[in-house]
Amino acid sequence: MDYFFAIDLAQSIIDGLLFGTTYALIGIGFTLIFGVMKKLNLAYGAAALAGTYVGLAGSLSFSLPPLAVFALSAFGSSVVGYFVYVGCFRFTPDNYPMASLLASVGMLLFIDELIIHISNGMPYPYPSALRNAEITLGDIWIRGDLIFVFLICVLAMGFLYWLLYRTPLGLATRAVSQQPRAAKLCGIATEKVNALTFLIAGFLGGIAGAMTAAAVGVLSPIIAMGLTVKGLIVVVIGGLGSIPGAIIGGLLVGAAENVFLLLRGVSERDIYVMLLLFLFLTLRPDGLFGTTKSRD
Amino acid sequence: MVRMRKNICTLPACRIWREVEETMKLKNFAAASMVTMMAAMPALAETTIKIAGFGAASGVVGVFGKNSEAAIAAAVEQINSEGGVTLANGGSALLEYEYYDDRCNAEEGISVIRRIATTNALIAVGPTCSNVAEPLFGVMQAKVDDASDTGLQMPIFTDVAIKGGLAGISEWVFRNTPSEMTMYDALFDWLRETNGDAKTIYGGVEEDFAHSRYGWRTVMKAMSEKHGYELVGEAEWLLNDTNFSNQVRAMRRANADVVAISAHPFTTCGVLREMARQKVKPKVLIGLTSSSSLETLQGCANEASGIIIPTSFAPVNDSARAAAKAVDAKGGSLDLHSASAWEITLLLRDVINSVGIEGKAETLEADRRKIRDGLAALTEVEGLLGTNQRLPDGEAVKPFVFVHAMGDSWVLSHDPNG
Repeated sequence: MDYFFAIDLAQSIIDGLLFGTTYALIGIGFTLIFGVMKKLNLAYGAAALAGTYVGLAGSLSFSLPPLAVFALSAFGSSVVGYFVYVGCFRFTPDNYPMASLLASVGMLLFIDELIIHISNGMPYPYPSALRNAEITLGDIWIRGDLIFVFLICVLAMGFLYWLLYRTPLGLATRAVSQQPRAAKLCGIATEKVNALTFLIAGFLGGIAGAMTAAAVGVLSPIIAMGLTVKGLIVVVIGGLGSIPGAIIGGLLVGAAENVFLLLRGVSERDIYVMLLLFLFLTLRPDGLFGTTKSRD
Repeated sequence: MVRMRKNICTLPACRIWREVEETMKLKNFAAASMVTMMAAMPALAETTIKIAGFGAASGVVGVFGKNSEAAIAAAVEQINSEGGVTLANGGSALLEYEYYDDRCNAEEGISVIRRIATTNALIAVGPTCSNVAEPLFGVMQAKVDDASDTGLQMPIFTDVAIKGGLAGISEWVFRNTPSEMTMYDALFDWLRETNGDAKTIYGGVEEDFAHSRYGWRTVMKAMSEKHGYELVGEAEWLLNDTNFSNQVRAMRRANADVVAISAHPFTTCGVLREMARQKVKPKVLIGLTSSSSLETLQGCANEASGIIIPTSFAPVNDSARAAAKAVDAKGGSLDLHSASAWEITLLLRDVINSVGIEGKAETLEADRRKIRDGLAALTEVEGLLGTNQRLPDGEAVKPFVFVHAMGDSWVLSHDPNG
């Protein structure tokens, strides 16, 4: 292994792990909703993108500072997430899981197309924090904006843990996730918990969308499909319903993607990522931390 | 409470009121009928000639189709304001257009052209994407008058899909797209003169987009080698990519004098930003023709500053500026692609005037054939930047200029035509 290759490998892994936190956040959103409702929300990535555009609109209209734009993106995505819940999950019958799944596919296409129509498909500059900062360790550069992305994502995960394990809302969410019927019998308003889950997941998705756009510096409707596909890969690898799994899965996919790019080039990179997905689906379908068992 | 219908009332006052009401109704009806007939009379007397536009009007490259549609709309408005077109019987007709969306998808493109063929449109202007154009041209009749070929027989005039050599697929296909080979040949030739110390080149390509791949692999790479540049590396990425650090790191290490980026605005901007982060500053930065658009400036004006791109449209003369203004008024932006749509529409007026079409439902096929033959017979036509040469295979050689990004606009760097 020559020196430059070793440097490239280390750099690829570091960049991948830092950027992988955005995948982890998207994965957490998918897994949170699945954990509570046992349904997949395929419009999640599109809702995250829509929220990011809300932040962008704030940036363009009022010249907001980057942190305010990110916050607006997160809240925007949260609101869009709630509408997705009302449109695709609230009134669809529980005993037909395909109904909500396909409704969310329709919503994904609808939101995506709406954004394209409003933005004309044009890329817009999206603010970044610490854009020109960097940490240099010999020949390895660590991007300041990616460290910021990493820290924000870690903070968001910490916030989620606090919410789930230190608040009555989190207790109710976990109760609905583990035993929805028992939770209902205990007087927990499951529909309210479901709606709050979409709001929280939307918030995380908005942060992921904002951080993705901030890392590139440009926002385009193109990223919606990437967010959705990466999020699904992450939850399969990490285990559907497992938050630690989504975090580990996100970091793993981010790093693996960069290493495959370095080793095999861009034309083969996705083949190996999909092969990884295939291996998990066949050899370990519950992912790293997932479980399909339910007490109900 | 008792409800009583009006007709039940039999009082004399009620009867009188009903008679007045009936009389008023008749008068209103007669007046309305007169107005309708008067409004309809000119329409009945007026013949319209329809042209169809098609391309990506939605999806992530939807802006190309929207700009083309705006250009066609503006040109049609100008033609109609000047009296429309002249038919074989000496009468005049107005032009009308309809734009169809193929979403830059080959299957939808083929479906759209089949649908257009069933309408009364004389010609179809489009498509946007080369990956649509190639299979779509394959469903057209390859050779005119070949009875064994049941392909579609309708003239297509392409404005945007720029991948070279596609018009040769069918004799019904014509293109008003610039020759990228010629443009980049001239660009590298000019760079040799103006940047004599630049010796090496590094290429970056958006690998999964037909035009980007063609732009680097077939055009820029070949032309740079022709002019003596040494290729020191290539980087590839995909249309949906959001992380370019690996590619730009390799670019930085190669330390090339010239960097050529063959990609569309979203990833061009992503790569340019990453280059700025990693402090990659080549002596010359070259972009793909399609990136000389408003999108690039909107996405990353600062990072794109100085990037040189050959283009067949820039607002460098009065007619180009007037066209840009007219298209802007229709909500579009005139760039090298939409300028082609503008030129095509004006050219169609001249062809229709010269070949003498009937403009009737029963002569539709014959009229389409006349248009095709009229287009095939052209050797030179006037375009926005000068004379466009029409080649026997349906392709065009168009005048072009070199522009570079500066602030929020594209500025003329050099005009090879003097």
